[in-house]
Amino acid sequence: MLSRKVATFVASAAIVIGACSNTGGGSAAPASAAGGSAAASGGGGGAGCTVGVSWNNFQQPRWAAHDQPNIKKTVEAGGGTYIDADANLVNEQQLTDIDTLISKGAKVLILLAQDNKAVLPGLKKAQDAGIPVIAYDRLIEDPGILYITFDNVLVGKAEADAVIKKVPKGNYVLIKGDPGDPNASTFLPSGWDQAGLKDKVTSGDIKVLNGPDGTFTDAWKTEKAQSNMEAIIDKAVADGTKIDAILAENDSTALGVVGALTGKSYGFPPLSGQDGDPANLNNVAQGKQYVDVFKNANELGKAAGAAALKLCADPKTLGLTLPDGLVDASVAPTAGLTAQDFKTPGGTTVKSFILQPTPLTADNLQVAIDAGQISKADLCKGVDAATAPAACK
Amino acid sequence: MTNVADAAPVSGQTQPPARTSIGGRIAQTEIDLRLFGMLLALGLILLIFNILSGGKFFQPTNMVTLAVQASGIAIIATGMVLVIVSRNIDLSVGSLVGLIAMTYALLMTDVMPRILGMGPDFPFRWAIALALGILLGAGVGALQGYIIAYVGVPSFIVTLGGLLSIRGAIWYMSNGAAVSGLDPIFQLFGGGAKGSVGGTLTWVLGVVGCLAIIALLINGRRQRRRFGFPVRPMWAEVLLGGIGCLVVLGLAAFANANLWPKGISGGLDIPTGIPFPIVLLIGVTLVMTWLATRRRFGRYVYAYGGNPDAAELAGINTRRTVLKIYVVMGVLCALAAAIAVARLNTATLDVGQSYELYVIAAAVVGGTSFAGGIGSIAGAVLGAFVMQSLAYGLSFMGVNSPGQNVVAGIVLILAVGFDSFNRRRGS
Repeated sequence: MLSRKVATFVASAAIVIGACSNTGGGSAAPASAAGGSAAASGGGGGAGCTVGVSWNNFQQPRWAAHDQPNIKKTVEAGGGTYIDADANLVNEQQLTDIDTLISKGAKVLILLAQDNKAVLPGLKKAQDAGIPVIAYDRLIEDPGILYITFDNVLVGKAEADAVIKKVPKGNYVLIKGDPGDPNASTFLPSGWDQAGLKDKVTSGDIKVLNGPDGTFTDAWKTEKAQSNMEAIIDKAVADGTKIDAILAENDSTALGVVGALTGKSYGFPPLSGQDGDPANLNNVAQGKQYVDVFKNANELGKAAGAAALKLCADPKTLGLTLPDGLVDASVAPTAGLTAQDFKTPGGTTVKSFILQPTPLTADNLQVAIDAGQISKADLCKGVDAATAPAACK
Repeated sequence: MTNVADAAPVSGQTQPPARTSIGGRIAQTEIDLRLFGMLLALGLILLIFNILSGGKFFQPTNMVTLAVQASGIAIIATGMVLVIVSRNIDLSVGSLVGLIAMTYALLMTDVMPRILGMGPDFPFRWAIALALGILLGAGVGALQGYIIAYVGVPSFIVTLGGLLSIRGAIWYMSNGAAVSGLDPIFQLFGGGAKGSVGGTLTWVLGVVGCLAIIALLINGRRQRRRFGFPVRPMWAEVLLGGIGCLVVLGLAAFANANLWPKGISGGLDIPTGIPFPIVLLIGVTLVMTWLATRRRFGRYVYAYGGNPDAAELAGINTRRTVLKIYVVMGVLCALAAAIAVARLNTATLDVGQSYELYVIAAAVVGGTSFAGGIGSIAGAVLGAFVMQSLAYGLSFMGVNSPGQNVVAGIVLILAVGFDSFNRRRGS
């Protein structure tokens, strides 16, 4: 009887530990793979500036692969010290992380907020201690912060620009992301409209086959986008209409669209996406996806690192200027290298650097290889030699 | 047993009193009214969508799409019936599907060509990958089943842990990236024009199915006679055989009315026939029904679910039975994963996400009771088709996903509510 109880306890403990390490262990592996961030804090430098970064979720490969190394490199090249912490998607953990980073001597904080409201107490603590805060990639509604991000509206604009240029007239399908995500319902569609989608629908040049709002995809799930797209193709075939182009908001939904087009042997009308996911870049090389708008996170990391060093020397965001030539010219803010006013949806005005996304088509896939986003082998896997894009030759 | 056969049959038993009312006639055919009602409901849903779309909905192409979309959920739901019948639950199916899907993709794109030296031309790569996936599914199922049956941790907890940790493991396998580019033969599991059995074989399958129905009816009648059980009146047997054959051949004709897309058929009318995922689903449904109703394992599951204490006292090895259920579940997850990953030609991190909810919904709409002991395989498959026909139909009509979710939730509650109402009235 006793042994059975013990066994039960051990098993349940194992499960609990297993479940925890799923989330808890997530941070350790990529961080150490990226060079052991904690161990590097001994460096110290001429500037004596310690930059603390609070990640909300280091499990997403992007942060470990692109953002973190570039922030770190830029900070250390300027003589500063880099420290960080990962909140594993937990709001409370992020507040604790901010405390820890402050007590470890961070002079500037870079915050990737898990939740832009829940993080406010941590922000206040930092500001009370006189530490300037950079809202990295995700906005925090507070006039004191410096906001560094990619222009999400521009992402939508770049998607639609490319596709509309290719197919100025015809039947369009709109595949959107999760209905609860403002990126899916507001920012990206407003970018599409800026590229002329709305005007062309009004003028009748473009007809949207799947309702005025397009089709939303729960949780941006690839399988859901696939089954939705299958129904849309079936409907178009039943109606005797032809799909000329497809605007998909991001890469996971675009992947589902390609799955549906393949399964139905429909051919591949011009299709958009964003994120620069390897599977999608491979589809661009194969001609199955027309454009993939790519946010070069390396450049975002560099900009944040440089801005952090500047804030160390002078905590005012007004007139803050990035060093010339640090950020690639095609990505640098259209408004120039000095921080600009940005009016938030909540009505606050903050200083900001808004970087430009890069639309990738078969013509400029080399950019993705150069940015370390994908290896040439992965990009060109299964690409037909006769129709291969320049980057695969 | 021979004693029973030798005993003089009581006339009232072999020949039920002739009843002329419609209800009596239906009772004489011994049709499962529940299943029949669900078939009617499914037909009604399709009919309504067909009317709403001006006759464009009920077309072979669309029905084939719907069936392929439902196949993965339906396959797992046949196993979920056994899980729920045994008063357990399995929340880990979605994560397990994702894990095995990622395994298939990594095996075929990375492990086989790079480490095992099996290039794209290596024979039966797809079969080796499938076998390994099934093995992995069975292994994970056995582990969870062992913890549930022998350690005694509630299945809700064990599989909840599975749901979390397996989904996390998928991330580590691929470092968060989607893996694409499967073996061309493996992709046939996903259906589509090339992933179907073709016109001739579809007819052959239809005729075989028809003959099998007749053979089963004849055999059943002979067995009942032998053991002195009441038999259906002759007209009912003929009616069942006739309708069964008509349905099977009708489905075959319908599947063959689905033609290759003009783009790849070169303008010819080539029938696609039944897609492979549906062949797989039909096979799984038959095998699982046989397991559940004709094998000792299946009867043990129902006995245990009906009354665990009585089953244990009757000498059934209940722990081993529960363990086996989870092994079966793992194998079914591997099959569903093959369909999902082949359909996409990619394993993304979210393959299989929230399958557990759809699968449980399918089983429950199909008449499986959480009180244990009650549930049928065919019902769960029908349940999956009811749920998917709603999702697909609404999608076809351009209703967005929030609307689809509202309808799916309401139908789930209505179906189960209607069922419990009927059961209460019946008892």
